Amino acid sequence: MPRSKETGTLIFTAAVFIVMEVAALALLSHSATLQNIWLNRFSHRIMALNWQTGENVRGHFKLREQNEQLAAENFALREELRRYQELDRLEEEEAHLAAAKGRFTYIPATIVKMSRNSLHNYIILDKGSDDGVYPHSGIISEQGVVGVVQAVGRRYSYGLTLMNSFLSVSARVGRDGLVAPLVWDGVSTRRGFLKGVPPHMEIPEGETVYTSGFSFVFPPDIPIAVTQGVSKEDGATNSVAVELLQDFSSLRYVTIVQNPSRAEITALEKEREEAQ
Amino acid sequence: MTDTAYFLRLALLLVLQVLLLNFFPFSQYLVLSFLPAAILCVPARHGGVFALAVAFVAGFLTDFFADGMLGLTVCALLPVAYARTWILRLIFGADFFDREEDLSLRRNGFWPVLLAVFLATLLFFLIYVQADGAGTRPLWFNLLRTLLSTLVSTFLSLFTVNLFSPERQ
Repeated sequence: MPRSKETGTLIFTAAVFIVMEVAALALLSHSATLQNIWLNRFSHRIMALNWQTGENVRGHFKLREQNEQLAAENFALREELRRYQELDRLEEEEAHLAAAKGRFTYIPATIVKMSRNSLHNYIILDKGSDDGVYPHSGIISEQGVVGVVQAVGRRYSYGLTLMNSFLSVSARVGRDGLVAPLVWDGVSTRRGFLKGVPPHMEIPEGETVYTSGFSFVFPPDIPIAVTQGVSKEDGATNSVAVELLQDFSSLRYVTIVQNPSRAEITALEKEREEAQ
Repeated sequence: MTDTAYFLRLALLLVLQVLLLNFFPFSQYLVLSFLPAAILCVPARHGGVFALAVAFVAGFLTDFFADGMLGLTVCALLPVAYARTWILRLIFGADFFDREEDLSLRRNGFWPVLLAVFLATLLFFLIYVQADGAGTRPLWFNLLRTLLSTLVSTFLSLFTVNLFSPERQ
């Protein structure tokens, strides 16, 4: 017998069996009360099982839906959390900026001209007194300290770069180390010295040198150079060779940093000098 | 076996079954039934539907003429008719129906026939006793009744098989 025909016969026989069995149960149910109750109870059990299975299946699919909903909600909450964290960070940054702004203001500027070949190198910037620039303002870039504004025209400023033997910047080794003036070595484009270092001070190589913040020109903690070797300066002091972080050959855009309290500080200093 | 011969023997067996149920109530633990064996002996050339129809009619007539509940024997006998194919194939091989053999103690052997009759009778009484009790009787009672009825009916059913045997024609 072909397999499909055999399957068909099996299904047909099963169907006939089910119909006849149901008929027999119906006969039995109608012929005796006890059997009627028993069959009703049995059918209720079957129905309950059926409903329970249906509920389980529905619950399973609903669970999947709920999982997706929870995942979406979780994602939204994480997003919100990230937004709040970002806000917190921005608030913190704003607070820092506000604190810094209390002492310093920043003006972006473009280098118009810069010399690199003389002993007294200088820089010309495209911002002048019309832009609020005044002398003794610091010049920095993202790489570190560039120089100091020396004179100001209406539209341009003239400054000395770190590659100028007349310029000295108050520097600190590390975040809280020795403070000493940093000057250019007068020869190399990337080398300078920390001068007047007491001989007993040990300066490790590779330490970053920052602005000390002890002047009204630069805010503290702007990186300037990295320490190299220590050498004798004279009998009483040592000098520490440093490699300047600022690459003057690729410099184009700078930031002029100004201390609004400079006039007040200068006046105070002058007053004390006259009193003495 | 011809259908006429089969139905004649079945009618005789039905009369005997009705008489047994009506006038010889042996014990509440024991019910005698030859009908499962009679269903097993439905000629092999007939399929499952034929056996189901025979089971339905035989069960109905037994219930109708016996002093019992209408539908009780029918609902216990129908599963036997449905399982007949499986039981016979399981014990006598898949080609039992292909050979269109009728059940015979001599040809099929005593023990295989006994086993087939036992399975059919057990199935019958499992349903019959349960439906008759309708959940009102304890389990041990039902089990004892099923076991006793199955064992005694199985041995008596061997005569039924012999009655339906093709060698008797």
